[in-house]
Amino acid sequence: MPLRERGARVIGRGTLLHWGIAIALLLAVQSVAMAALFWVSAREGHRGELDEALSHDCTAFAALSPSARRMELHRQLELDVHRDRFLAVANAGGHVLYGNIAVLPPGVAMNGIGTATVTPTTLPGKTSDVARGRLCRLPGGQVLFSGIDLDDSEQALRIVERTLLFALLPGLLIAVLGGWYVARRAGRQLDAVRVLSEQITRGELNRRLPVAEHPDSFGQLCAHINAMLDRIETLVGEVRGIGDDIAHQLRTPLTRLRARVEREMEDAVSRDDFARAGAATLADVDQALAIVAALLRIHEIEHRAKCAGFTRVDLGALVRDVGELYAPVAEDSGRTLAIAVDGAAAVSVSADRDLLGEALSNLIDNAIKFGPIGGIVTLSLAVEDSAATITVADEGAGVAAADRERVFQRFFRARGLQNVPGTGLGLSLVRAIADLHGFTVALADRGSAVSIRVPLDRG
Amino acid sequence: MARILLIEDDDGTAQEILLGLARAGYVATRAATGADGLAAIRNGDNDLVIVDRQLPDSEGLDLIATMRSEGIRTPALVLSAMGSLDDRVRGLRAGGDDYLPKPFALIELLARIEALLRRPVEGRETQLFAGPIDIDLLAGTALRNGRDLELLPRELLLLEYLVRRPGRVVTRMMLLQDVWGYNFDPRSNVVDVHMSRLRRKVDGDGDPPLIRNVRGEGYRFDAPA
Repeated sequence: MPLRERGARVIGRGTLLHWGIAIALLLAVQSVAMAALFWVSAREGHRGELDEALSHDCTAFAALSPSARRMELHRQLELDVHRDRFLAVANAGGHVLYGNIAVLPPGVAMNGIGTATVTPTTLPGKTSDVARGRLCRLPGGQVLFSGIDLDDSEQALRIVERTLLFALLPGLLIAVLGGWYVARRAGRQLDAVRVLSEQITRGELNRRLPVAEHPDSFGQLCAHINAMLDRIETLVGEVRGIGDDIAHQLRTPLTRLRARVEREMEDAVSRDDFARAGAATLADVDQALAIVAALLRIHEIEHRAKCAGFTRVDLGALVRDVGELYAPVAEDSGRTLAIAVDGAAAVSVSADRDLLGEALSNLIDNAIKFGPIGGIVTLSLAVEDSAATITVADEGAGVAAADRERVFQRFFRARGLQNVPGTGLGLSLVRAIADLHGFTVALADRGSAVSIRVPLDRG
Repeated sequence: MARILLIEDDDGTAQEILLGLARAGYVATRAATGADGLAAIRNGDNDLVIVDRQLPDSEGLDLIATMRSEGIRTPALVLSAMGSLDDRVRGLRAGGDDYLPKPFALIELLARIEALLRRPVEGRETQLFAGPIDIDLLAGTALRNGRDLELLPRELLLLEYLVRRPGRVVTRMMLLQDVWGYNFDPRSNVVDVHMSRLRRKVDGDGDPPLIRNVRGEGYRFDAPA
């Protein structure tokens, strides 16, 4: 287990490192792409301008008569103080008539534009240069070459390139630092969750994640995790409590049983004595089993899918049926069971008849057990528009206000009633059955009565 | 003598059940796994099969379903430790004939077995005669030696249920299930209270008792010859 945990941690760190690198790379790629785009568009823009100027030359010279062309050419070359212009007029055979280059540059197609090596005649110490040039045929058969030296513009582009490259360095640095920071921040947050989960695994269920006052999305996630932990802590607490209760509740009858068996094995002399001891033992075992069975039953009702096995149940008939079942029991115990079913119309709901019968039988059983001898236990069904209410009331003192909610907890026994036989699970079972059906069960505010409220879906 | 096959993986439980069955006069054999059980079902001529639901290699209900699909109609009784509410319904739907949740009293198991082996002919006759008892279901009356017992409707149903199963143990759980139609353990003595009222009416006047309490778990109607 520790091995695996350590492995998991390494993977976690590695993943974070990968994230950091990925973010840095992303930022770097973005910088490079921007620089490249800028460079390309600057270059293309410059080319476009040059090409337009060269084409303009062609149109201008074409409009001139052959005699005027020589003058215009010389005028233009005189105006070219930077000496980056190349102009030449050639005859139809391609032989240069006049201009500042010796021959027409090869590599530029007729009426095309291209970068070519030219042969300047007027530049001191320079017989070859690279230029952007255009070749076009003028009216009358002559050919014009118009070119612009690329040295200057190439230099400008190189400056741009260098600037961009230098700018990339801090960009990349920022990218790496940013990636490292983001990875570290995420790593810290994840570490916090990991440390917490380790603590919880060790059983420290009260630990929580820190949440800032104005949480970001990760903070909100932490708040959700905290809320989930609150719920789990409550549930685990309940389960622990129930587990302790079960142990305690079973220990009592088992201890008594053990003591009895021990004593009776000492005392018994006859076969009859043993038979009596056996019967008493069986009764005690049955009591312990009843606790287990009731717990399992509550458990299965709580985990049962709603509506499984539901049929239409006539509430009036059910109340009368269960009432008839228990009337003799009440009578034998010196109490009277009165049944009051309201209204003539049958009220039927979707329910499990066995479970509802069991809930009622638990309530009546309680009322007979806790109501005063000679008193009346009332089982009634009241029907209103939106709900029907089944009430079991006795003439006892009822449950103290402070205990009204706790009576539904497992094993709750009110003070002074510890010695009344029972599992302490009856009302928990009633509540589980009511919950399964979507009914509500509540104790009356005064007197001793329990009601099951059944919503009616009359359509 | 009826032959019973028990398919149960837990040795302790199986031992107790086998002893109980033998004492009640049955010839009982046991299989510890679903596969062995199915083989024994196919081979032997068993009169009844008791199947535990949780077997190491299969689910008891599947076993019964397989057996039914092969046309084997031997009555089957399902045992379950799960005690789930729907288990009874599912057990019966899978082809089981009765269902008993663990833990159970041995007398309960024996009563169910007897009920399965000798299913009463739920005849359509509306008049039953058993020794001194005459029941007229249409008139809703029961007489003992010609004297009206003045039974309430539910008491009449109880007596009819007993009279139709003479000499056999019926348990409280069976009565609650079959006479009242409830499938839950009332945990109190409701059935006993009703039965004691019935017995007071039927056996009250110093006549020899016809309904007996059997070991605190059930009742038996003994019709004198």
